[in-house]
Amino acid sequence: MVDVTASEQPLIEAAGVTKRFGEVTALDDVSTSVTSPALGLLGANGAGKSTFMKSMLGLVTPDSGQVRVLGMDAAHQAREIRRMLGYMPENMCLPMGMTARDFIVHMGELRGLPRRVAVLRASEVLFQVGLEEERSRLIRTFSIGMKQRTNLAQAIVHSPSLVILDEPTNGLDPAGREEMLALVRRLSAELGIAVIMSSHVLEDIVRTCDAVVVLRQGRVAATRTLADSSAASEREARVVVSGDTAAFVARLQAAGITATVRDDHVLVSGPDADTMLRAVRDAAADMDAGLRELRPAGPTLEDELIGDLS
Amino acid sequence: MIEGRVHDVRFHRYDGPRSGRLAALWSMTRWSALRALGAKRGWKAKIIPIALTLVAFFPVLIVLGLRALFASSINDNLATVLPYSDYAGIVGLVILVFAVVVTPELLCPDRRDGTLALYFATAISRTDYVVGKVLAALLPLMLVTVLPPAILYAGNVLFATHPLGYVQEHTHDIPRIVAAGTAMALFFAFVGLAIASLTGRRAFAIGGYLAFLIVPTIVGGILSNNIEHGENLRLIAVAAVPIHVAESLYPVTPDPGDPSNTAWVMSWLALIAVSALVLVWRFRGDES
Repeated sequence: MVDVTASEQPLIEAAGVTKRFGEVTALDDVSTSVTSPALGLLGANGAGKSTFMKSMLGLVTPDSGQVRVLGMDAAHQAREIRRMLGYMPENMCLPMGMTARDFIVHMGELRGLPRRVAVLRASEVLFQVGLEEERSRLIRTFSIGMKQRTNLAQAIVHSPSLVILDEPTNGLDPAGREEMLALVRRLSAELGIAVIMSSHVLEDIVRTCDAVVVLRQGRVAATRTLADSSAASEREARVVVSGDTAAFVARLQAAGITATVRDDHVLVSGPDADTMLRAVRDAAADMDAGLRELRPAGPTLEDELIGDLS
Repeated sequence: MIEGRVHDVRFHRYDGPRSGRLAALWSMTRWSALRALGAKRGWKAKIIPIALTLVAFFPVLIVLGLRALFASSINDNLATVLPYSDYAGIVGLVILVFAVVVTPELLCPDRRDGTLALYFATAISRTDYVVGKVLAALLPLMLVTVLPPAILYAGNVLFATHPLGYVQEHTHDIPRIVAAGTAMALFFAFVGLAIASLTGRRAFAIGGYLAFLIVPTIVGGILSNNIEHGENLRLIAVAAVPIHVAESLYPVTPDPGDPSNTAWVMSWLALIAVSALVLVWRFRGDES
């Protein structure tokens, strides 16, 4: 199996992908290339996220352009791609009359696992998603959160290189959402499964992904690497203190932190967020100054992504 | 001393062999057929298929039971009580009801629960899905169309005064039994699946199936009996089509008032072809 989380192999390469449904253009000349082990597709409802995901699986054939998944052409090698990928659809699509274990075994077999292996792995993945105690219950008796976790289990039972999650937190209560986000983060961080996750909730993407592609009205509005963006935005702070501002700035500069007095605030920047914030705290404490305002100096990642979305 | 066993249930990457398309198709067939027969479901789902299977075997079990119990003096008479050619006609209604129970269960839950989207995202295609479901309908149906007369044949061989002589005399009945049973199973499988593919509601599928088989059969019977030279109107009797096709495979003289065997076979072929087209239409889609 390809360990895509540890390689430079692009997960997805899209070149000029356009897909129309009648009068509606779902994808409009979408081009992107992503190597991050956890990619978020961010966009409002109807932005084209689900259509883009289905084109990765070969379930939707683009009118023009090409989608390559793990180096394979999605239009011509769809069957091979689907064997290597896991897919968790947006809508609930579980067989209500089956037990979780039977369903996961069945999906494992459909994705190419020998029966004996499918039985063993069904136990493993149900344990991973926290359903080991409920594995013999009918799915119709599950809560929405348990159904979503079953949906995730079927997507990873065959040990895919890449799993595609379409709005995995849809319909979940706050506790269920927290659990689902933690599970999604674990996939790429601990289990070695690359993730492509769509959501219209910014926080879901920020908490689980390393990179984000922002879709707006079927077009790529932005592609960002989240770790770099957030680190950059956190290295600079805008500080307002009560008391002797000049002395506060001098104390920061003595600590090796860049500090500049602006109109009504001090612009502070350091080598990293922790060092900078610790120096601000210590300087304020030493000067017995009150910290009246402390916030990122420039637009935050959230500000930028909201800007991309609108 | 109490012995324990530690199971490692942590997530492991799987790098072993993976099965191909045929294995996936077989998985779809096996799971679907077993579930249609009530396996891995509650006892209520098991009762009707098991009961109907037993009823389908009932005539065979009665005849073979009597032959086992009573003296060989009446054995030869009992051997002809249930001719293979009559089996389809005798249990035709049971097979029809069995098909009504089994075929909607194969398709309706998948459409109702939206599971199709998930299946088509695996290695199986829409064509594989339909083929798997047709096979899943055929296997249980052949349990009640092929197996009982096959067991009757085996029993007749066993109880015959000269078993080898019976086999030599009735060699041609083996392919006839298989062909007749398969013809019945194909008809009920395709027609049942075509109707079930039109709805996600099992109750509607059952109602539609019964209406499609029973209403034309009654209308065809009334018309053919009341219209002069209206024997070909019996072809409208949809439920009678597979029975006549099964009987036509045996060297039995047809009823003079009935349509020809060729007409029945053409009707059988047409209904299966239309059903197959309905299935293709219902499961077409934008998918490679």
